[in-house]
Amino acid sequence: MPDTETALQITDDMRAQIGVESEPWTYEVTTTSVRMYARGIGSEDPIHYDVDFAKQQGFRSIVAPLGYIGTPVYLPGSNDPTFGFPRRAGGPRLDIPFKGLLDGGTETEYFDVICAGDVLEETSHLADLKLREGARPMLFITNESVYKDKATGKVVVKQRLTSIHM
Amino acid sequence: MTHQVFFEDVHAGDEIPQLRKNCSTQQLVQWAAASGDFYQIHYDRDFAQATGLKGLIVHGALKNAFLGQLLHDWIGEGGQIRRFGCSYRGMDEPGQDILCRGVVTKTYTLDGRHYVDLDIWTEKPDGKRTSPGTATVTLPGRA
Amino acid sequence: MAQQTYFEDVAVGQQLPTIKITPDKQQLVKFAAGSGDFNPLHFDEKFPMLKAMGLTENIVHGRFKYAQVGRAVFALAGYKGRVKRFGVSYRGMDLLNKEITVAGVVTAKREEDGEHLVDLDVWTEDAEGKKTTPGTAVVALPSRG
Repeated sequence: MPDTETALQITDDMRAQIGVESEPWTYEVTTTSVRMYARGIGSEDPIHYDVDFAKQQGFRSIVAPLGYIGTPVYLPGSNDPTFGFPRRAGGPRLDIPFKGLLDGGTETEYFDVICAGDVLEETSHLADLKLREGARPMLFITNESVYKDKATGKVVVKQRLTSIHM
Repeated sequence: MTHQVFFEDVHAGDEIPQLRKNCSTQQLVQWAAASGDFYQIHYDRDFAQATGLKGLIVHGALKNAFLGQLLHDWIGEGGQIRRFGCSYRGMDEPGQDILCRGVVTKTYTLDGRHYVDLDIWTEKPDGKRTSPGTATVTLPGRA
Repeated sequence: MAQQTYFEDVAVGQQLPTIKITPDKQQLVKFAAGSGDFNPLHFDEKFPMLKAMGLTENIVHGRFKYAQVGRAVFALAGYKGRVKRFGVSYRGMDLLNKEITVAGVVTAKREEDGEHLVDLDVWTEDAEGKKTTPGTAVVALPSRG
């Protein structure tokens, strides 16, 4: 049985963090980064590599493979050195007692096609907190990120990321 | 970078401030990402050993880049690197100190520019020089 | 890229063409490069966290599997179609040098706000056939009219 002193609970404080919006961060989609991502997933579709071909198919430039939403601008001290994500002021503050971290799930909703040359501005907020009790308690945290095209202000992509803390 | 080194303060025989590196396996993979060199001897131990190596080795080009950083840190905002290069003579491994060093060999003025030639190299903890090379930089004058 | 799929060409219950990939270390390092996730869990067999998890082989990034599902969904959409959404849960780990199969099946067809939509169940399976990354997707396809 979990020790009650270290047992995880979702506190009102934690729940109050839901919806708190982070500061924005810039994500860049470049020809080089689109090609590297495509190579990284083993895709050889020319739509991800050949700019002329992509334009002939009616796109602005080469198309980002699904799952790639640009690379966050990296500033030493501001981004996590292993994962690259921005650690920023504003946004939810959660004190999670567990060290174990697993990726729970990823969901992406597209409102437009992402192409090389796009510069996106992303904000995120805590969307959900769920506690699964049991011999090994697990805390499911879902963050939602909204990406807008910096030039037009239009929402391009929304992504929900779930992490499991145990 | 607040302190600027000036041409008048530099003499043949001077050693420039050392740069100590120690590559994690993560750094070698990040270098592969940055350089586009995905050769497996730098992150796949089985592959490295199958080619006759004892284990993973650091990319030569990464050591070259470290030497570039050594020079960049020394010359300050007012200096310029004109050329630098090295030979990859010995192998370095991840998890081990790589000491980047440089010694001034010559200072001279040409067409109004102040040049400094250096011997540069990377060194293992036992003192063995693994990537010997040379560099030429320009520095601002006090006048 | 294969020829464009149209809404009329698709039937409920239809299976997607499978994609098979066996990621070796070089592939995972390239994915680290592309995604920016440099967690040594995925390329260093001596990484202490791996041992702590009771593993001797490196594991495949969850997002790598997500992107494989993305490839299958993108292939169905073609250049004239649009993927509206796709999502997965990471239920199991996949190991280095083991074959991963991406599969999917059409679960529904519908028209909404002038778009012709196809709903799918999509997933990745490990070499033993276990569904490690189950998910769903919605694709808008062009119509022949």
